[in-house]
Amino acid sequence: MAANVRVRRPATPPPGLPHVAPSSHKYPPIRQDHLSADERREAASKGYGPGRRSHSPGGLTITSGEWKLLAVVLLIAIGVRMFRISKPDSVVFDEVHFGKFAARYIKTRYFVDVHPPLAKLLITAAAFISGFNGDFDFKEIGKVFENAPYVAMRMVPATFGVATIPIAYLTLRALDCRATTALLASIFLTFENGLVTQSRHILLDSPLVFFTALTVFFFVGFSNEDKKEPFTNQWWTWLALTGLSLGAVVSCKWVGLFTIATVGVCTVLQLWLLLGDLRVSPRMWTRHFFARAVCLILIPILFYMTMFQLHFLILGSSGEGDAFMSSEFRQTLGRGMEDTYADVALGSDITIRHLNTQGGYLHSHAHNYPGGSGQQQITLYPHRDDNNLWRVLNATVDNYEQYDYEHKPIVYIDHGSHIKLRHLVTDRGLHSHEVRPPISDVDFQNEVSAYGMPGFIGDINDDWVVEIEKGDSSDKESGKRLRTLRTHFKLRHLNTGCYLFSHNVKLPEWGFDQQEVTCNKNAVKDNSLWYVETATKHPQLSADAPKVNYKIPGFLSKFWELQQVMWTTNAGLTDRHVYDSRPLTWPSLRRGINFWVKDHRQIYLIGNPFVWWLSTASVITYMIVRGFLLLRAKRGYRDFDNTKVVKYDSLCGFLFVGYCMHYFPFFLMGRQLFLHHYFPALYFAILLNCAVFDLATSTLRPKIRLQVAAVLMIIAVITYSKFSSLAYGNPWTKQKCSNAQWVKTWDFACNEFFEDYSQYSGVTVPTLNRSTPMATIGGEPGGRAAIVVEDKLGQDGVVPPENEQNTAVPIGVPEPGRDVFAKDEQKEIKSQMRVSQDVPVNNVDKKEISAVTFEPTSAAPEEKKEEVKLQAGGMSATGESEGQARPEVTGILEKEIEVGLGEDHRKSHGPLDHEEAIADQVAHELYPEARDVE
Amino acid sequence: MRPSQVQIDFGTPPGTPPRTSSEFEEIPYPVTHPSYFKTARGCKHEESLPLHHMNEDTSTRRRVARGPGSSGGFMSGDEHESEMHYDDDGKDVYSKPSPARSRVSSGRVHRPPPPPPTSISEFISQNLEHLPPVIYTLLSCWTRFHKIGHANTVIWDEAHFGKFGSHYLKREFYFDVHPPLGKMLVGLAGLLSGYNGNFEFKSGVVYDESVPYVAMRVMMATFGVALVPLGWYTAVELGMSSWSCHLVALMVLCDVAWLAISRFILLDSMLLFFTFTTVFLLTKFHNQQYQPFSFDWWMWLAFTGISIGCVTSVKWIGLFVTAVAGLYTIEDLWEKFGDLRMTNRDQIRHWAARVLCLIILPILVYMLSFKLHFLILNHSGPGDSTMSSLFQAHLVGNDFGKNPREIAFGSKVTLKGMGWGGGLLHSHVQTYPVGSGQQQVTCYHYKDDNNHWTILPTWEAPEYNPNGELQFLQDGDVIRLQHVPTTRHLHSHTVAAPVTKLNNEVSGYGNSTVGDFHDYWVVEVVDDIKQGPKEHVTKIHSLTTRLRFKHQALGCYLYAANAALPHWGFKQVEVSCTKEDNPDDMHTYWNVESHWNDRLPLGDAKFYKSPFLHDFWHLNVAMMTSNNALVPDPDKEDILASSPTDWPWMRLGLRMCGWGDHQPKYYLLGTPVIWWGGTVSLIVFVIVLGIYLFRHQRKYIDMTLQQWNHFLYVGKIAGYGWFLHYFPFFIMGRVTYVHHYLPTLYFSVLMFAHLLDHFIFSARWKDSTKRVAFGICAFLIVGNFWWFRAMAWGIDGPINDHWGLLWRKTWNIYNA
Repeated sequence: MAANVRVRRPATPPPGLPHVAPSSHKYPPIRQDHLSADERREAASKGYGPGRRSHSPGGLTITSGEWKLLAVVLLIAIGVRMFRISKPDSVVFDEVHFGKFAARYIKTRYFVDVHPPLAKLLITAAAFISGFNGDFDFKEIGKVFENAPYVAMRMVPATFGVATIPIAYLTLRALDCRATTALLASIFLTFENGLVTQSRHILLDSPLVFFTALTVFFFVGFSNEDKKEPFTNQWWTWLALTGLSLGAVVSCKWVGLFTIATVGVCTVLQLWLLLGDLRVSPRMWTRHFFARAVCLILIPILFYMTMFQLHFLILGSSGEGDAFMSSEFRQTLGRGMEDTYADVALGSDITIRHLNTQGGYLHSHAHNYPGGSGQQQITLYPHRDDNNLWRVLNATVDNYEQYDYEHKPIVYIDHGSHIKLRHLVTDRGLHSHEVRPPISDVDFQNEVSAYGMPGFIGDINDDWVVEIEKGDSSDKESGKRLRTLRTHFKLRHLNTGCYLFSHNVKLPEWGFDQQEVTCNKNAVKDNSLWYVETATKHPQLSADAPKVNYKIPGFLSKFWELQQVMWTTNAGLTDRHVYDSRPLTWPSLRRGINFWVKDHRQIYLIGNPFVWWLSTASVITYMIVRGFLLLRAKRGYRDFDNTKVVKYDSLCGFLFVGYCMHYFPFFLMGRQLFLHHYFPALYFAILLNCAVFDLATSTLRPKIRLQVAAVLMIIAVITYSKFSSLAYGNPWTKQKCSNAQWVKTWDFACNEFFEDYSQYSGVTVPTLNRSTPMATIGGEPGGRAAIVVEDKLGQDGVVPPENEQNTAVPIGVPEPGRDVFAKDEQKEIKSQMRVSQDVPVNNVDKKEISAVTFEPTSAAPEEKKEEVKLQAGGMSATGESEGQARPEVTGILEKEIEVGLGEDHRKSHGPLDHEEAIADQVAHELYPEARDVE
Repeated sequence: MRPSQVQIDFGTPPGTPPRTSSEFEEIPYPVTHPSYFKTARGCKHEESLPLHHMNEDTSTRRRVARGPGSSGGFMSGDEHESEMHYDDDGKDVYSKPSPARSRVSSGRVHRPPPPPPTSISEFISQNLEHLPPVIYTLLSCWTRFHKIGHANTVIWDEAHFGKFGSHYLKREFYFDVHPPLGKMLVGLAGLLSGYNGNFEFKSGVVYDESVPYVAMRVMMATFGVALVPLGWYTAVELGMSSWSCHLVALMVLCDVAWLAISRFILLDSMLLFFTFTTVFLLTKFHNQQYQPFSFDWWMWLAFTGISIGCVTSVKWIGLFVTAVAGLYTIEDLWEKFGDLRMTNRDQIRHWAARVLCLIILPILVYMLSFKLHFLILNHSGPGDSTMSSLFQAHLVGNDFGKNPREIAFGSKVTLKGMGWGGGLLHSHVQTYPVGSGQQQVTCYHYKDDNNHWTILPTWEAPEYNPNGELQFLQDGDVIRLQHVPTTRHLHSHTVAAPVTKLNNEVSGYGNSTVGDFHDYWVVEVVDDIKQGPKEHVTKIHSLTTRLRFKHQALGCYLYAANAALPHWGFKQVEVSCTKEDNPDDMHTYWNVESHWNDRLPLGDAKFYKSPFLHDFWHLNVAMMTSNNALVPDPDKEDILASSPTDWPWMRLGLRMCGWGDHQPKYYLLGTPVIWWGGTVSLIVFVIVLGIYLFRHQRKYIDMTLQQWNHFLYVGKIAGYGWFLHYFPFFIMGRVTYVHHYLPTLYFSVLMFAHLLDHFIFSARWKDSTKRVAFGICAFLIVGNFWWFRAMAWGIDGPINDHWGLLWRKTWNIYNA
């Protein structure tokens, strides 16, 4: 009937509507007339789409003329990227880090960084080939290179930067854009100041952008192949190359995960559509699925792991990164530990390590807490030292000092054993009491100290109960009794029930920046676990007693451990940086980054505003238009029957997904972010911009289109040249600088430039380093942090002071991105062996308890003695000044006192209470001179 | 199937069941569709009759307006056939378009009221569908009220909420992180039961004679009782079969955690109640969708809005269920947007109705609860300092209003940060352990002497003479601020602040004779609430004038945002000096709160007024900031707290009170079969959905469109509900407890019932199979409940004497 008639002759389209017969293809079906019916049937039975047999690889059809054009573009790009690449001859921005890492690789000294190794390895390779011996330290921005082949190192990112440009050209061509469009994109990318600046220095973003671009190119090629005919050799090649490139991008920076997400989303969509194609049998679909799974998941993972394998192979010796890794890991870094006795018994000398943090060994030294009980400090110390040695003593016998371990039968330490731990060097016991610890001043934490003296056996507060948490599966004994390295245990304080505890909190300078140890009443299990690292030979053990050592970790466990360290550190990078920025400000190019200022020149990372804003505008335009089309589609309009709409929708949609995937995840990140994190997204935005251009000019004649493109390119080049001095560190004038400040928030250092170019021709005089020597007053060991406060009283109030304090954050001075792994070295306090005799011991046998924890403030300069001790703080720190010794009677008595006092000083903040008022009064009586001052 | 064939059954005389085939039974669609035609679409679109509604297999699912479905035969009495009588709209729906369409008509199925019952048995038979929920409600009363006063001590968070209720009775202003509605209801319960508000509600303390705690608990438990009928009727509205309705009611009735939490003076029973009502009203509204703008449609929509307002006014967790309603509405409107047959006018009306009822109405309810809160609490109390100075000025018992109004040199003042949640400028003798090491300056929320500052002239100016001429503070004056207890001066320098590293540190420096020009601050007036913008401000007034303090040497502004200092700063708010000169940044605004100057005349409290909207917003921001500040200490093992991952599989319970041998002990733990079943069903749903989608993409047809839509609709309500009530807890930094999962649990229960319904009770199984399946489920639920009942009713005697409660090793029921 009527339906049959339609089959023969389609209805005439309504006038004014470009009617195209609805089809399931996104693109107009390729003419297939040259295939015979048999061939077509055969192709269909295999699940292939209809199409020509042979096609150009990756859907790229490029004429020889275009290749020539491409060569010219490449030459231009080389000129732009590598012009004066040897200038400046001093360290710029994050070259501080990445140059240093190259030096570490060459010296094979272990380090850790938040980025995977590929890009750093490539830079290292270039440096190594040019004969870098790793002696230059890249210490700070502006340091002049000596003995460092920095040009070769900079050539690596520059080469990647250059290579990005033809890739972008080919990608757009493979996406079925016109040559003019592709040319426009490559010119835009070439003259993007930000990309230029970034690729001229030893930084990782240029390789990252290159590999992102490469991945996109391969994936587009693969998709084109897939549309033609799957499972050919070409198809496999493109797929495998996509996988390899994915591995490379994620091995440069973790931002590469976003590229993986982009490819992943598109692949899932492909598979979903394939699933709906009933010509594809389930078996065929499964093949499709597994081919992609292998190439796009397995290959990248293998590539990534290979990079780390290389990393580990190169970094064979220990270095500054050791402190972040576990003891097992460090065992592989050359400076391993010798085998130690496996059995621990009463009377053994042992070192105890904290399991969960890298704080190190349970440690004590002949310095006292300045607050709290005033007893000897207990800390965690990361290095091997005699002060880490503890002797395990029996707490259940009287007079254990004289207990004869050499002749009595050996007693192992089981779950529930009561022990005392005696610090060998200072001869004091591990002690805890109801006093708040110095830093973690909360009511569930108690202070841990070393208490006692030679000959004094201590009290019941020295008793600890061993609770074995778990042993090692390879050593059954270790679950039942304490064994070196294999047993994880907790130490419960017998009297108060709290657990020996440590966490990532550093003591201040008086504690030599070592890690705090407390006794926690509500201890989190992870941070209260300890293990014995070394044990000396117990007298009762035979010489051939079993010995143990750390298990050498395999590659996988090392790899996994490093990933975890990188992850936690990356998440912890939350400090603000002077030039950091939030993602919202990136598309509008609100502010750049000051890379380098020296000799009246500046390098400042800023994009090409024209290209940048145009790309942002095209993204917004796309969103608006797509949203509008979505609404129209919902209202039943058939826009998507138009092949042109469909073509540009899938093209722009792909690029837009790439943009979103590389941009929006940054909003979820709390860490420090910089403008250059936007570059991968910018790459997509520029391509999208050109796709929009392609659409907008699709109805124009080729010649006109070329003219429009030429105008855009010329504007881009002009804008580029306006800001190029900032990219190359070229001479500039104040006038031009302030003219270029189009946006108020672009903070170029205009005052650094000369008035006139002619002034540059003279001998360059290095600018004086304005940092003045830091005069520190106070800060003797054990005291408060040293500070400088200049007395400005009576001076003319208008003169700004010069660097009043040494912790000032200089504003507007280039500063490398912070590297959390480059912490200050642990302060090495080598406690002398057996020097405790020299330390005056008369203050050992009395409890020094200050009722109020705060010290007399050192805010005032030391010269003004009359002002010191104004506060009541020191009023009852009588241990030293008044010699008010309180002989220790019993632990119980001591505990009572401490409880009372503990409550006292808990109130030390907030309202001035009655007690404090009294304390004030006492202080006035003690220090009448202070009152006189008042 | 063509509709004309279905019509055969219309005129079937009552009493003779129209069974033409064994599956083809009790199809009530004609009852609803005539009115659908009349009201929704008019008569123009006859071809648009949703034919899929009449599929014989699935018609039972659409039957939502009445009692539970009839596919089982278990509950299906004769009432379905009896309805056929009243189908007076005509037998031929196609031939009877009713042109007169009233604007506001009842959207109800056109069913004339039945004749008044003449006997009790007739009454019962007429309301037979309501019999099961009534029975369940009675059972619920028993479980909820049984031994409710057994524990005569303050259990768990009664310590908080009882105390807040007392504050309402005493009318003292307090501060809490939760919105006020629930606590006002607690206060109301106290009022009704004759409580005088003088009990302290200390945790674990035995109740006083004067506290009618049993009556108060009963009132709270009443909300818990209502959960059961709500569960039943929600299941009915969701179109579940009667078997599933019974299961839902049983699960709501028998969950030990819901039972335990609703037996005490807590907010959770109210939160659960309003969550349940919101879901119920939403489904009720959904079922009015074919009679838009009818009276019922408006009524249920408005009720949904009010319920949303209530649930968010009890706890902010209610926002999650609001999000469920929001998602539903957005999807609904999106579908309507694609409906080309709808006129533009109707489109706009749909949008307007949603905006009015689901956005404006809830906000009004929420604000109303705060308005009442402010009206009731008009005395000064423990929470004063969280509010703006102006608000505090009119609380009874506060003397700010009587401060001297104009500020002069030599005045002793406290300065209040005007940023949201700002505190009083504070300093104490402790020093910064980082940076300069000078004395700390913070923002502090409580009143004490350490907040006192004296306004002094510069060092160069002649020293302040207490007997000299009064010199009033003016815009642009350069002052020193001296901390009264320590005599140090407010000081800033180019040292990075401890937390906000980009700002300058602010410290206390020097003493009454030592200082430098870094102690100088320029007073800049922003505006005055009374006097108007800056140009009109002649004198700086306490309370009303908004000030900024600019550091003279550095040009930065005194700034207090919500950055908390670490332990060494006692977690107080950091004060720094910001270099960014943003004149609109509230965090740089300060006002003088208390003001003492013997030489100035006292002010008048009547002079000050604080706008409600401002107070409302201020309080909400303060609640938000302190809610976010409830961060667990990473070093402290909190045995009460649990992480969201512990909940779906019931890894942890919660001891609600002391664990002594001689007191009743309550343990907050669910009924395992319900919790585990719910979690399993969520996973199964995702898998099943995936399989269906895969098969759909391969063009298999598993269900009719209508079945599929219904499967998705119920799945979406339950699935989105669960997801939205669960995942936000991962993002939240604050400490979480087991009871946060209780609203979430409801959605997993619905999902459980939905899947059972989908695979068993509404599928083509034999009745006997369904009966057996129901029996097993019901037995497991009730049996489980009975096994664990003591945890909600109170465990007496030494805990270790009770056997068999430790089903997972991680539960800390027994004493080790």
